[in-house]
Amino acid sequence: MKGKSAASLAIGGGLERWAERRLRYLMLAPAVLILLALTIFPSLYMFYAAVHRISPNPDLPWQFVGAANFARLFSDGQFQAALRNTAIFTVVAVSVEFLLGLGLALLLDKYIRRMTFLKTVLMIPMMLPPIAVAITWKLIYEPQFGVLNEIMYRLGLPPQAWAGDVDLAMFSIIVADVWQWTPFIFLLMLAGLASLPVEPYEAAELDGASSWRQFWDLTIPFLKPVIAIALLLRVMDALRLFDLVFILTGGGPADRTKVLSLYIYQVAYRFADPGYAAAISLFVLFVTIVLSTWFMKRMRLVE
Amino acid sequence: MLRKMCLALAVATSALAVNASAWADITILVPSGSEGDGLRAAAADYAKLKNTRVEIVQAPYANVFEQGANAGATRSGVFDIILMDDPWIPFFAENGHLEDLTSYFKNAGVEGPDDDFLSKSLAICRNPYNEGPYVCLPYVGNAQMFFYDAAKFKEVGVESPETWDDVLKAAAALTEQGDGRYYGYVFRGGQGNPVVADFMPIFWSYGAKMFNDDRTKVTIDTPEGAEGMKMFMSLRDVSPKGVESYNANEVGTAMAAGTAASSINWPNWVATFEDPSQSRMVGKISYGPIPDGTEPGSSEIGHWTMGIMSAAKNKQEAFDFMLWATSPEQIKISAERGNPPVRRSVFTDPELTQQERFRHYPVLMEAIEASTPRPRHPKWPEIENAFGIELSKAVAGTIAPEEALKNSQAAVEQITGLN
Repeated sequence: MKGKSAASLAIGGGLERWAERRLRYLMLAPAVLILLALTIFPSLYMFYAAVHRISPNPDLPWQFVGAANFARLFSDGQFQAALRNTAIFTVVAVSVEFLLGLGLALLLDKYIRRMTFLKTVLMIPMMLPPIAVAITWKLIYEPQFGVLNEIMYRLGLPPQAWAGDVDLAMFSIIVADVWQWTPFIFLLMLAGLASLPVEPYEAAELDGASSWRQFWDLTIPFLKPVIAIALLLRVMDALRLFDLVFILTGGGPADRTKVLSLYIYQVAYRFADPGYAAAISLFVLFVTIVLSTWFMKRMRLVE
Repeated sequence: MLRKMCLALAVATSALAVNASAWADITILVPSGSEGDGLRAAAADYAKLKNTRVEIVQAPYANVFEQGANAGATRSGVFDIILMDDPWIPFFAENGHLEDLTSYFKNAGVEGPDDDFLSKSLAICRNPYNEGPYVCLPYVGNAQMFFYDAAKFKEVGVESPETWDDVLKAAAALTEQGDGRYYGYVFRGGQGNPVVADFMPIFWSYGAKMFNDDRTKVTIDTPEGAEGMKMFMSLRDVSPKGVESYNANEVGTAMAAGTAASSINWPNWVATFEDPSQSRMVGKISYGPIPDGTEPGSSEIGHWTMGIMSAAKNKQEAFDFMLWATSPEQIKISAERGNPPVRRSVFTDPELTQQERFRHYPVLMEAIEASTPRPRHPKWPEIENAFGIELSKAVAGTIAPEEALKNSQAAVEQITGLN
């Protein structure tokens, strides 16, 4: 009887040890499987696709072309236009959003702290689905019946083509993006400002430092990690811009607003050339990784 | 006892449900808008009539092509029928995504579609064009027409415009009178499909073609092409500012609001122009064929056609549905639902032609019979994109019209591998 109990205990103990060793892996397994299925496998598949010419005809095999799809990037005028437009959009839109967001946060933090209603109103554009924002701005910019030209007309100013004018199309897209995403920067900056320590400012006041000095020497350095995160997220997001361009201009006029995401979509789905689209996507992924690593090092978010 | 009866009922119901799921299901991919809505309504009628479950998947215009191409490339069999815009047919057919309908007609005891269909409507459903086997059946009879405000044209001395020179003369005068609030002409200048669709009829009217007859040479940059481009640029100069971003909606809205006097447009806009809740121009817009240039004018055909996907799960049921949906009775019902027909008997049916909303039918039938298809090439979406970029640049004034033709010639040569 005694021996039997000891054996049972031994079995129980073994199971317990086994469970201790294995259970944590079993518990992690579903998450790992999902990650493998939805991220790792598609990423590897994209590498595989990027070195092949893939015919829309399922009877024709994938043809290995090595680096040919990547070499095409150098001679493809549409890709170069898309790259240039994406760079212009990212630099201008993110800079304007940052300056406006920070400015608004400073203003509200200093003068109108208790106006929570105003803060909520400022958040609304960010909450809207991008497609709804794009359609709204399409109606605003509509050359003949849009509200913007109606205002211009009433002010005695010449109406503009906005999204249809080669010189104004990118500007129009940037304005719509700034309207939607400035609140995101504003929100992060406001949170950053709320967490600033009070003592350094009191000491600076006693030393007679001006508001401008305090801003440069205290606020900006304290906010640096928040600024870095905000800029990083916005730059990564700007590189993926699609909805606004798709709805407002379709990449035109004269290819002035064609961005990389739109071009990848066209190559993959309209021209049925997924191999080349995979190569462009990898290029964008590479640029995003290089940019974000450089940026994080520069802002000392990583050592 | 009650419990036993409930159990028996449940078992019987599940057996029926299993049986129901085994019935022939047909899944049809259709575009948003009146064409897709018409087929959705027809599918509902068919489902009731034949006790067959017909599922309609509706998507925006561009997504129909993408979803169809994806289903074809992956042989997913998710769609049995696809409602295609006709320029997509070479892509779908030459990449093996569509069934050859010859054997289906044979099984049905007929040679092919009957003679009541308009010849141009049938020609596009054969691949190669007008020669190969049927790969689809026509369903919606679109071909562009010339829409104009006859009263306004008369005011400036053009009774009924027959040539592009007449149109330009009237449009220039009306734009000048309009002083920035009213324009003589409006067109789809948006990059890609829109600007190509509105340029092609003018291009053809001056004797130009994208390819030579046996498709061995690209012939965009020619004296005829230059003539067409010259007229297109002159019309741009009398069109509203911002026309560079216009698509069908903007053109249709300008015409319905009475802020533009003329345009090339699709016949399904007639319903909007004649609807008092959407138009200020009810009864005021006249319809004509595409004006002549140096050659007789020709519309771009833009039919919606039904084809069976080669990976479809229920091909025979799909063919039966297509035959039923394109029968004279169903095409008439489709016409009453707002879709232009593809059959002569429906175009000339007195019950329809006596109605005001179908007064454009004689002109439309003439336009279809005189229409030209977009160049039949499996790489048409890529060709259209490249040509559309150069036309957009010309319309926006960033390059000279001659340069646009030269660049288009080079781009299409590169895409097609022709020299």
